[in-house]
Amino acid sequence: MRIAIVTTYPPGRGSLNEYAFHFVNHLRQKPEVSEIIILADELPDGETYPKDDNPEGIAPVSIRQCWRFGAWNNVITIRAAVKDLTPDVVLLNLQFATFSDQRIPASIGLLTPWLVKSTGALTAVLLHNIMETVDLKKAGFGGNPIIENITRIAGNIFTRMMLKADLVMVTIPKYVDILTEKYSAEHIILAPHGAFEDIPEPSYELPDGPLQIMTFGKFGTYKKVDSLIEAFEILQSKHAEPLELVIAGTDSPNTPGYLEDVQQRYAHVNNVRYTGYVAEEDVPRIFGDSAVVVFPYNSTTGSSGVLHQAGSYGKAVALPNLGDFAELIQDEGYQGEFFEPDDPQSMAESISKFIDDPAYRRTISAHNFVAASGLPMSEVVDWYLLHFERILDQRQTTPLVPQSETRSS
Amino acid sequence: MQIKTTQYTIRIDVIEITGRLEAFTVSDLRDEQTRLLDNGAHNFVIDLSHTEFMDSAGMSALVSLLKQARQAGGEVVLVKPTDPAAYRILTLTRFDKVFQMADTLDVAYENFK
Repeated sequence: MRIAIVTTYPPGRGSLNEYAFHFVNHLRQKPEVSEIIILADELPDGETYPKDDNPEGIAPVSIRQCWRFGAWNNVITIRAAVKDLTPDVVLLNLQFATFSDQRIPASIGLLTPWLVKSTGALTAVLLHNIMETVDLKKAGFGGNPIIENITRIAGNIFTRMMLKADLVMVTIPKYVDILTEKYSAEHIILAPHGAFEDIPEPSYELPDGPLQIMTFGKFGTYKKVDSLIEAFEILQSKHAEPLELVIAGTDSPNTPGYLEDVQQRYAHVNNVRYTGYVAEEDVPRIFGDSAVVVFPYNSTTGSSGVLHQAGSYGKAVALPNLGDFAELIQDEGYQGEFFEPDDPQSMAESISKFIDDPAYRRTISAHNFVAASGLPMSEVVDWYLLHFERILDQRQTTPLVPQSETRSS
Repeated sequence: MQIKTTQYTIRIDVIEITGRLEAFTVSDLRDEQTRLLDNGAHNFVIDLSHTEFMDSAGMSALVSLLKQARQAGGEVVLVKPTDPAAYRILTLTRFDKVFQMADTLDVAYENFK
C-alpha cells in the first residue's frame, strides 16, 4: 500500500507536526505499507527536511513540499501532487487552521479532501478538532459576533465538504456522535490518539534539584501560560522547597511573539525557564525531569498529544476542567487534578496536591503510565490500515466506474 | 477397492471475557493471546456476551489479535456484547464492519466451516 500523507512535519513548526512524525514512524514499520510520501508544507528559507536514510526492512519515506501555510492555492497544488504520485491512499492530518490562520485560505484548504478524492485515491481525513466544539474566540478565529456566526456557518459547510472523504477519523468519541448525528454520516471512525512511544515503565523518582513544574506545547491561542506563571508565583510564596517552572515549546503559528511578550511581562517572576523549541531527542528528558505536567488551556481543540506523552513518561498531570478534556481523560483512563481554566489560585491548588504529597504523585504517575501503555500508537496505526484495506477490498469487488463512462439503457 | 477417509479438525480457541475490558485489565488478555498464538492458535472466537464494558485499549488488544491471526492465516470472530457499554466501542470504531460478528457462540463456529 502506497500512502501519501498531507501534513505538517518536523522541522516544520505547524500544528500536528509532532503527531505526524510519530504516526509516520509507526506506519512505516507495517509490512502492508510499501511506501510513504509526505506532502508537507514549504519550510522557511534556509531550512530543509532531512533526507530519509531508508533503513532496510521498513517502508521508505519521502517528502514532497507542495503547499504553503497561508497560501490560497494549496488545494490545487496538493491535488496536483496526488495526481502525479497516484498513491493508493491519501491521509490528511488536519485541524481547522492547518492551512492558514486567515479564514478564507484556511477554509479553501479544507476543500482538499474532496478534490483529492476526485483523483481516485482512497481519501481519509484525520480530523483533530471539529467546528461544533471549537471556541472560535479562544482558537484565534473570534472577534465580531456576526463574523463569528458566519465563520461557524461556513465551518458547517466546509465540514460537509470534508465529510466527502471516504473515511473520517476523529480522536474523541463525542466527535463521532456529533458528526454522525448532525451530518448523518456513517463513515466517521473513532481512532484514538494513542501513546507515541512504547516506553518501559519509569521509576517515578525525580532528579535532584528544584521540583520542576512543566508545560509543553505551542502557546498563545487556547494554550496560554499567563495564569500558570501567576499560579507559580503563588506556589513559590507558599512552598519552602525550590521550584522551577519550565515552559517548553514555542509560539503557536497563529500568535507569533506571544512567548516573548509573556517573558517581558513576567520578567519579575524568578525560576521560570523558557526552553524554546524542544527537539525530539530532548523530549524524554524534559518530561522525565518534571514532577507535574500542567495543561494551561482555556479551550480544547481535540485530543491532546501532550497528555499521552505525559502518560507515557509516567507523569502526574494538572488539567483544566473543560468538557472535552474531562471526557477524554475519563474515556482513556487517565487521572489528574483539575483546576478552573484561567484561575491561577485554582491551578496552584491542583499543582500543590502533587508537590505536597509525593506518594500521591507517584500513584497518579503510575496510573497514567498504565493508561498510556494500554493504547500505543503502533497499534492505532493498525486501526487505520484495517479500515483502508476494508475500503480497498470493497472497491475491488465493486469497481468504481468513472462518471463519464456511465450510461443508461 | 480402496477407501480413504480423511478427517479435518479445525482448532478454534474460544476466549470468553467477563467483566470490564479496559486499560487496567487488558494486559491479562494480551498475555493470554500471546500464549495461544505462540502455541499455534490462529482461529479465535472472542465471546464478549458477558463483557460489561470495553474501552479503546481493550478494542486495541482485539485488533492486535485480528492482525496476528490473519497474518497466520486465521480469523477472529466476535460474539456480540449484549451490554451497550461494551458494544459502543465497536460502533464508534466501526470495527463491527472489520471483524466477523456473531450473535451466539454457535453462529461464531459456523464462520470457520
